[in-house]
Amino acid sequence: MKDIIIDGKKISVKEETTILDAAKELNIEIPALCHRPTVEAYGACRLCVVDVNDGRKTRMVTSCNYPIRKSIEVNTQSERVRKTRGMLLEMMLSRWPNVDVIKQFAAEYKVTKPRFIHPLVDYSSNACILCGLCVNACSEIMWEDIIGFAGRGESRRVVMPFEKHYDACVGCSTCANICPTGAIKMIDDPNQPADSKRIMKYGSKIADEMVLMDEEQCDMRGVGTAHLAQIMNDYDLFPTCNYKFGSHKDAGGLHSDVFKQKYITQGLPDGCWLGCSMSCAKTVEGYELKTGPYKGDKVLIDGPEYETIAGCGANMGIFNPEFVLEANFYCDTYGIDTISFGTGMAFAMECYENGILNKERTGGMEFNFGNEEVGLEALHQMGRGEGFGVIVGQGIRRMKQIFAEKFDLTKKQIKFMQDIGMEAKGMEYSEYVTKESLAMQGGYGLALKGAQHDEAWLIFMDMVNNQIPTFEDKAEALHYFPMFRTWFGLMGLCKLPWNDVEPADNAETDEPAKVPGHVEGYVNFFSAMTGKEIDKHELILQSERVYNFQRVFNYRLGFGTREHDSIPYRSAGPVTIEEYESRAERYDKQLVEKWDYDIKGKTSEEKRDYLRKMREADYQKLCDAVYKRRGWNENGIPTIQKMKELKMDLPEVLAVLKKNN
Amino acid sequence: MKTISVNGNSLKWEQNMTINVIIGKMNYTFKMLVVKVNGELIKKTEYDMIIIPAAADVRIIHLISGG
Repeated sequence: MKDIIIDGKKISVKEETTILDAAKELNIEIPALCHRPTVEAYGACRLCVVDVNDGRKTRMVTSCNYPIRKSIEVNTQSERVRKTRGMLLEMMLSRWPNVDVIKQFAAEYKVTKPRFIHPLVDYSSNACILCGLCVNACSEIMWEDIIGFAGRGESRRVVMPFEKHYDACVGCSTCANICPTGAIKMIDDPNQPADSKRIMKYGSKIADEMVLMDEEQCDMRGVGTAHLAQIMNDYDLFPTCNYKFGSHKDAGGLHSDVFKQKYITQGLPDGCWLGCSMSCAKTVEGYELKTGPYKGDKVLIDGPEYETIAGCGANMGIFNPEFVLEANFYCDTYGIDTISFGTGMAFAMECYENGILNKERTGGMEFNFGNEEVGLEALHQMGRGEGFGVIVGQGIRRMKQIFAEKFDLTKKQIKFMQDIGMEAKGMEYSEYVTKESLAMQGGYGLALKGAQHDEAWLIFMDMVNNQIPTFEDKAEALHYFPMFRTWFGLMGLCKLPWNDVEPADNAETDEPAKVPGHVEGYVNFFSAMTGKEIDKHELILQSERVYNFQRVFNYRLGFGTREHDSIPYRSAGPVTIEEYESRAERYDKQLVEKWDYDIKGKTSEEKRDYLRKMREADYQKLCDAVYKRRGWNENGIPTIQKMKELKMDLPEVLAVLKKNN
Repeated sequence: MKTISVNGNSLKWEQNMTINVIIGKMNYTFKMLVVKVNGELIKKTEYDMIIIPAAADVRIIHLISGG
């Protein structure tokens, strides 16, 4: 820390803080035309000049880019400082006499009419004043360099390359939004929003947050969703060996830093959505493949995302980042989902280790956890449509059927497959361990499309924060979040800007978990885009209509009832003794404190069985509470009354419900 | 033994205990947190400064992130 004095006031600041920022903390205002916290200080306008005395001499510096490294005394209002600012403003006013922002600053320095006329005078009120904000914002906020300065001296101007329209510009409007004079205008918006200025306002809010806070929050620009790998491992949520465990001593091998330092090569906008300031997708270039049809080729890999790292890594008992990259590339190339591949392989590996599969049944492959060679060979078989890989590629639900029909399995083995096969509604689980969060078990089991976390991710709220202790609390969360998150799908919007960066004041809001500032942004985005004013309640209602309609649709097709909301027990608790004993302290404590169970003299098997009985009962109670909150009957079917309330009592819907209610 | 409550869990209280000390003991490595001590919001800049009294109710709320 450095002690400095500004206009007689003392303040202690971190080294490298600029004088402008230090003055702001003391509520001392220094004029600045070309400064914004979101772009690097450029010192173009020089209005922020101040006198600095370092104990040796006094000199005039631009405060926006002067880093404090020793104790100094600053004068922001000395006679020569004010005189210099006045002269600068007079020169600006002589060149751009009708630009509001210059007129306002000039008036503060008693300059209303310049004594001379600039040879390049521009009478436009929207003249470009060459502050450079647009050029720096394009480069630093958007990671593009579409506009830049050309020419020197009096011919200096902002241009696209060769002064022609450059197709790489997608009209993200960041430059237009940051321009202090309105020199840059959006003249062609192909989406034709009802109110483009309102959209720009909320869009630039997210862009500013990404620039100012992302590195300290999720580092989405730096590593993308991969940042979750180490966090999930730290919280015992990182699926390891088919969700048996939530952490592993070798998980550091899959840390996002490993990918960032050794493999990710492009710090560029990813093209997922042109003009997106979050730019979370990452790219690995020049990776030399070790297997498969492109063996030896150097390729570009899109990713890896968190789910791919967990699914094609830890969940298969593999902690080698290059295996993850190779699997990522070939899944993308063959058109195979990395989550279904990872979770499906993990299931097959556990079946192999428990005698349900053997070398004869897998075509000679040793399907043990951690076997990288077999992991890739099975993937190539899937791609080629041959061998045992084809069976794995059909997914867990079919694997369970095929194994039961084809192989001579005991009832116990068939039940074991049901317990460890991590699928719901036929869809493989994504990559989170849910055993210690009942609400998250519901998040997966009650999701309409199957075991996906994108309707509700409640593990922290439930397991870490203890914010939703009762069944009713959990049911409320399992109403609000699925409805809110369904809305992104309805609108075709990405949900990551909702909760992977958060406003600076989010902690001070009444419901930080909902990120109210960003909910407001989405509400405004909808209204500004369509011209139809909505509020946050209407947003939920829009989703509820569709969500309930989908549930009825599922029901019409023979699904959409309690039976189909069931989950494998591995999702709710320890299936094996090995699992129970690996977290025995936790489970023993729960048995005693939550269920008043006397564990004295009990074997691990007895304790595991009692825990299962309790947890399975809790899951059914959770379903009861959620069905009630959602307006469904006890079998999980939307009631006619609910559909009427939602104005979704269409004849076809009523016909389905009346027939069976 | 004096204790504090962290998200409803009991933790041994120590003298000069700060929020950062508690975060370290709980191995809370996630960064998007909202911290309240006896209902009072604690700013990030105060995590090393505020001393936690014995028997305090500490809430270290983890927000949601991820796809």
